[in-house]
Amino acid sequence: MTDITPDKVTAGERKSTAEAVRQSLARRNRNQVILQGFGITAIVFAMSMLLILVGTLVSTGWQAFTQTHVEIEVFVDPEEIPLENLPRGGFRDVLSTSMGQYFPEVDMTDRAAAREVSSILSNGAQFKLRDMVVADPELIGQTISLKVPTSDPYDQLHKGLIKRDTPEVNRRVKDAEIERFDRLDELGLVSKPLNTGLITNADSRFPELAGLKGALIGSFWALLTCFVIAFPLGIGAAIYLEEFAPKNRISDFIEVNINNLAAVPSVVFGLLALAVFIGWFGMPRSAPLVGGMTLALMTLPTIIIATRAALKAVPPSIREAALGVGASPQQVVFQHVLPLAMPGILTGTIIGLAQALGETAPLLLIGMNAFITSAPSSPFDSATALPTQIFIWADSPERGFVSRTSAAILVLLGFLITMNAIAIYLRQRLHKTW
Amino acid sequence: MTLAPFVILLLAAIVGYAINVKSARTIRNGGARLHSLSSFHGLYSLLLVIVPVLTLVLVWIAVEGAVINRILMASLPVGVLEGLGSGQVQLIGAEIRSIAGGRVFGTPEDWKLEAAERLINYRETAAWLLVGVVAVLSLAIVVFARSRVSAAFRARQRVEHIVLGLMIACAVVAIFTTVGIVSALTFETVRFFQMVPITEFLFGTSWEPQIPIREDQIAAEGAFGAVPVFLGTIVIASVALFIAVPVGLMTAIYLNEFASKKLRSAVKPVLEILAGVPTVVYGFFAILTVAPAIRQFGQSLGLDVASNTALAAGGVMGIMLIPFISSFAEDALSAVPRSLRDGALALGATRAEMVLNVLFPAAIPGIVGGVLLAVSRAIGETMIVVMAAGLIAKMTINPLDSVTAVTVQIVTLLIGDTAFDNPKTLAAFALGMVLFLATLVINVFALRIVRKYREIYD
Amino acid sequence: MKDNLEGRKLVNQMDVKIETRDVQVFYGDTHAIKDVSVDILDKTVTAFIGPSGCGKSTFLRCINRMNDTIPIARVEGTLMLDGEDIYHSGIDPVQLRAKVGMVFQKPNPFPKSIYDNVAYGPRIHGLAPTKADLDVIVEKSLRRAALWDEAKDRLQEPGTGLSGGQQQRLCIARAVATEPEVLLMDEPCSALDPIATAQVEELIDELRENFSVVIVTHSMQQAARVSQKTAFFHLGNLVEYGDTDTIFTNPVDPRTESYITGRIG
Repeated sequence: MTDITPDKVTAGERKSTAEAVRQSLARRNRNQVILQGFGITAIVFAMSMLLILVGTLVSTGWQAFTQTHVEIEVFVDPEEIPLENLPRGGFRDVLSTSMGQYFPEVDMTDRAAAREVSSILSNGAQFKLRDMVVADPELIGQTISLKVPTSDPYDQLHKGLIKRDTPEVNRRVKDAEIERFDRLDELGLVSKPLNTGLITNADSRFPELAGLKGALIGSFWALLTCFVIAFPLGIGAAIYLEEFAPKNRISDFIEVNINNLAAVPSVVFGLLALAVFIGWFGMPRSAPLVGGMTLALMTLPTIIIATRAALKAVPPSIREAALGVGASPQQVVFQHVLPLAMPGILTGTIIGLAQALGETAPLLLIGMNAFITSAPSSPFDSATALPTQIFIWADSPERGFVSRTSAAILVLLGFLITMNAIAIYLRQRLHKTW
Repeated sequence: MTLAPFVILLLAAIVGYAINVKSARTIRNGGARLHSLSSFHGLYSLLLVIVPVLTLVLVWIAVEGAVINRILMASLPVGVLEGLGSGQVQLIGAEIRSIAGGRVFGTPEDWKLEAAERLINYRETAAWLLVGVVAVLSLAIVVFARSRVSAAFRARQRVEHIVLGLMIACAVVAIFTTVGIVSALTFETVRFFQMVPITEFLFGTSWEPQIPIREDQIAAEGAFGAVPVFLGTIVIASVALFIAVPVGLMTAIYLNEFASKKLRSAVKPVLEILAGVPTVVYGFFAILTVAPAIRQFGQSLGLDVASNTALAAGGVMGIMLIPFISSFAEDALSAVPRSLRDGALALGATRAEMVLNVLFPAAIPGIVGGVLLAVSRAIGETMIVVMAAGLIAKMTINPLDSVTAVTVQIVTLLIGDTAFDNPKTLAAFALGMVLFLATLVINVFALRIVRKYREIYD
Repeated sequence: MKDNLEGRKLVNQMDVKIETRDVQVFYGDTHAIKDVSVDILDKTVTAFIGPSGCGKSTFLRCINRMNDTIPIARVEGTLMLDGEDIYHSGIDPVQLRAKVGMVFQKPNPFPKSIYDNVAYGPRIHGLAPTKADLDVIVEKSLRRAALWDEAKDRLQEPGTGLSGGQQQRLCIARAVATEPEVLLMDEPCSALDPIATAQVEELIDELRENFSVVIVTHSMQQAARVSQKTAFFHLGNLVEYGDTDTIFTNPVDPRTESYITGRIG
C-alpha cells in the first residue's frame, strides 16, 4: 500500500522553506492590511450614511417645531360681524382693517395693497377669529388681542430660511414686505412659540396650518385594527403549527405559504386589498379599517414566526411535567407553555407593529393618501396615516412643507424608537433563562 | 353601523356560559360525577354561540355594502343608466350615497333623490334584519347548548375540538391570503390581456398608459409595452446591489473576523437602525439630499444630470440593503465549522488568507442566497423609487438617466380614478402579477440554496 | 540545556527540538496547564498520554500557538523551538505555523480538490514559484502520506469525497506539504476505523525520519506502538516523561502506574 519513499528532507531544503516563508510575509501582511482597510471603509460608509440621514432630517426638521406668530389688536366691528349672522361674517375684512392700523401709510381701500398687508397673517386667522367670536359673542364691539400664525413666507423669513441678501427678484418676500414685517417685529408683536399645531391640526394646504392630527389618528386606528386581527390569528396559527399539527404534507404546505408571504413585496398586498376588500367586498376607500386589515395580513407572518420561536424555546421538561400531572395537551399549551412564551411573543408582536407603522405602499393603493382636512372620527372615515402623510407633504411644492416633512419623519422615527425600545426592554426584563 | 349585534352576541354568550355553569354545578352537587369541569360546560355554550354567529356578523358586514349597492342599482328607473360606461355608473352610485349621507351638491335629478331615500331604507332594513337574525340565532344556540349539559357530556372534548378548529382556521388564513393574492391578480390580469395582447405587454417597448377618460381629451393612445419598465427596475436594482453587496460583504467580514468586541457592539446597532428606517424616509432622503447632490456633482463634471436618476434611487436603495446583506453574510460566515478555520490557521495562513481562501468559498451558498433575497427586495421596493425615480419609461441602461420602475407604475396607475374596467387600472395588476411571480421564483430558489447549504454542515 | 530532566536516557543521540519551561495555561480563571517543563527531541515520536481533560491537547496547541485563537486563553512560561522563544513578541505565528504543522482529531479537508488541499500551504507561503514546482510538492506530500496511489487519478476531485481514513491522510499530506520541522497530531486516529488507524500508525513511523512528531493519544497501546518518548499528563501537570519502554514497564511515579494499570482515567 505505501510506497516507501526514501527521500529525506535535507537541512538545505528546510532552510529554503523558512526563507521563502519569511520573504512572503511582507506581501501577505500587506494584503491583510488592505483587506482590513476595505472592511473599515465599508463600515465608515454605512455609519456616515446614517449620520447624514439623521443630520439632514434634524437640520431641516427642527425649524418646524416652532411656528412664527404675530399678535395684533383686532376691533370686532359689529357692522362687519352682526350678531344675527353668526357664524357668517366679514372676519377677513375685520382682520384686514386691523392689520391696516399698523401701516398707516398704506391705503387700505386699494384691494391689492390691503391684500398684500393682510397676507402677513395666515389664511386660518379668519377662522380662528370666527371661532373665538362664536364661542363668546360678547366680543362683538370690543377690541381684542389675537395671536395667529403668520403665513408661510413670513415664517420662513423670520426663521432665517429666506436669506435677506438674495436679490429681490429671486426672493419670495419683497423688500417692502420685509420692511413691514420688521416693523411689527420691532413693536414686539412677533413671537415664535412651540408649534403645537403640528400635532393638533389636521392637514391643510397652508404649511403653517398643517398638522398631523388626522394622520396620527388614522395610523392609530389602522394599527389597532392590525393588532386586533393579527395578534389572535397569528398566535392561533403558530400554536397549531408548532404544537398540534401532524407532520404531513398539508402542514408543510402551510409553512411554505407563510414563509413565502413574509417575502412578498408590500405593494402586492396593496393590490390584494384594492381588488378584494374594496372591489369585491365594497368596503370604504381610504378607511383606516381597510388599511389595518391589509397591515394585518402583512404582519401575520412576522407574528407567527416569532411566536413559533418563543414556543420552541420553552423546555420540554415543563410540558412533560404538566402532562404527567394529567393535563390534556391543550391545557398544557394554554396554561403552561403559552404564559412562559408570552414575553417573546409580545416582543415579536411589537416589532411587527413597528414595521407596520412604517408601511406606506399598500396604504397608498387603498387610497389613504387623499387630501383630507379633518381628522377621522371613526375607523370607517377617510383618513391618512403617518407614512402616507409624509409622502403627501414630500410632494408639496411649498417650501414650508420641506421642514414639516422632516419634522413628521422625526415624529414617526420617535414612535418607532419608542416601540423598539419597549420591545427590547420587555425582552431583557421578562426573559427567563432556563 | 351600530354596535347592537355585537352587544347582543356578547350578552348571549355570557348568559349561555352562566346558565351552563350553573346547570353543571347543580348536577355535581346532586352527587353525580361530571366528566368535565363545569367551566368547560360553560365554555361550550360560549364558544358555540360566539364562533358561528360572529362569523356570520363579520361576513354580513363585509358583504352588506356590495349587496345593497347591487339592489340599489337594479332598482333605478329603467333607461337611466343606458349608454353609460361603468366608471360613470360608479360615479352615480357614489353621488346617491353621498346624498343619502346628507351631502348634496348642486341640484340632482329627482330619481337620484328617490334612490337616496330608498338607500337609507335598505340600510335600515338590513341593520334591523341583522339584529333580528343575531338575536334569534344566539337564543337558539344557548338553548341547545343548555340542553346538552349532563353528567356524561364530554364538554372538555367538545370545547377542545372547537378550539382546535379555530386554530386550524387561523393557520388556513395564510393560505387564503395567498389564494386571495393569486386569484385577485390572475382575475384582473386575464381581463387586462383581453384588452391588450400579452405579446405587446411582454415584448413591447413603448409604455404610455395615459388613456383618455373623456372623448375630447387629447392624449396619446395607450401603449402598454412593459419592457422599458422592466428594464428600469433592473437598472435601479443593479445600482442598489452594486453598492450593497460589496459594502455589506466587507462589513460582515470585518465585523466577524477582525473587529474588536467594542467595535462590533458599536456598529451592530447602527446596522439595525439602518434596517429599521421606513422606506418612505429613505425616499425623502433621496429627493432631499442625494439626488440634488448627484445633480450638483454631475454638473460640476459638465454632465447634464436629471433630478430623478436611477443612480439616486438605486443608491439610496443600496444603502437600505446594506444591513440585509451584511446580516446574511455574517450568518453564512459564522456557520462555517471551526475545524476549517483551525485547519487553515494551523497551516500558517494569515487571517486574511483564511477568510478569503477558506471561509468565504465555504460560505458562498449562504451568501448567494442572501444576495438573491436582496434582489427580490430590491425589485419589490416601492417608496424609494416612487419618490426618487421618474415616471417616464425609457429604454436605457444608463444609471444617469431618469427611468421608471414596475412598482412606480403600479402606484401611479392606481392613485386617483380606479375604475376596474379601465386598461390603466388593469395594467397595474398585470405588472403586479409579474412582480409577484418574479419575487416568488427568486425567493424559492434562494431558500433552496440556503437550506441545501445548511445540510452540508449539519 | 541538556540536563535537569528526570528519567532521561537517550535512546538515540537526538537534538532537543522543543524546550518548554514552567508553562502555564489559563482559560479565563481556570488554571488548565500547570508548570509543564519538557524537552521534545528531533526525529522522534513523542506521545502525550493521560486521562481525558488532563490538558494534553491544550499543551499541544501551545506549541503552534493555536491557543492564540481563543480569546480567553493566556499562556505563561517559556516555549522554545530551536532555541528561539516562540511567544516572543517579534515572532509571527504565521511563520511559526509554517514550521510547526498540525493534524486534527476529526479530518478537516477543505471543500476544495485534493490537489488544492495539499497545495494550499505552499501556495500561500510562496514556496512554489511555478506550477511544476507545485506539482512536485503535491506529489511528494501525497507520497509521504501514503495517499499518492489512491489519489493520483483523482487529484481534481473534492477532498471531502474520500473515505475517513483517506481524508485524514490527506490532512497529513496537507500538513507536511510546507516542510514543517515539527508535526503535531491531536488524536489523529480517534475518528478512524482499525484498518485506517493501522495505516496512519505506519505512516507516523515513516514520518519520524524527517520530522519531529508529537502525538496526543488516549490509547496507551498506540503510544506504546508508535512512540519513542512518552509524557504522562494528569490534571494539568506533567507527571512523568521518559522513554516509552520505561514508562510502560517501570514507571517511576505512582500516578503513572495507576494510569498504566487502568486504575485511573
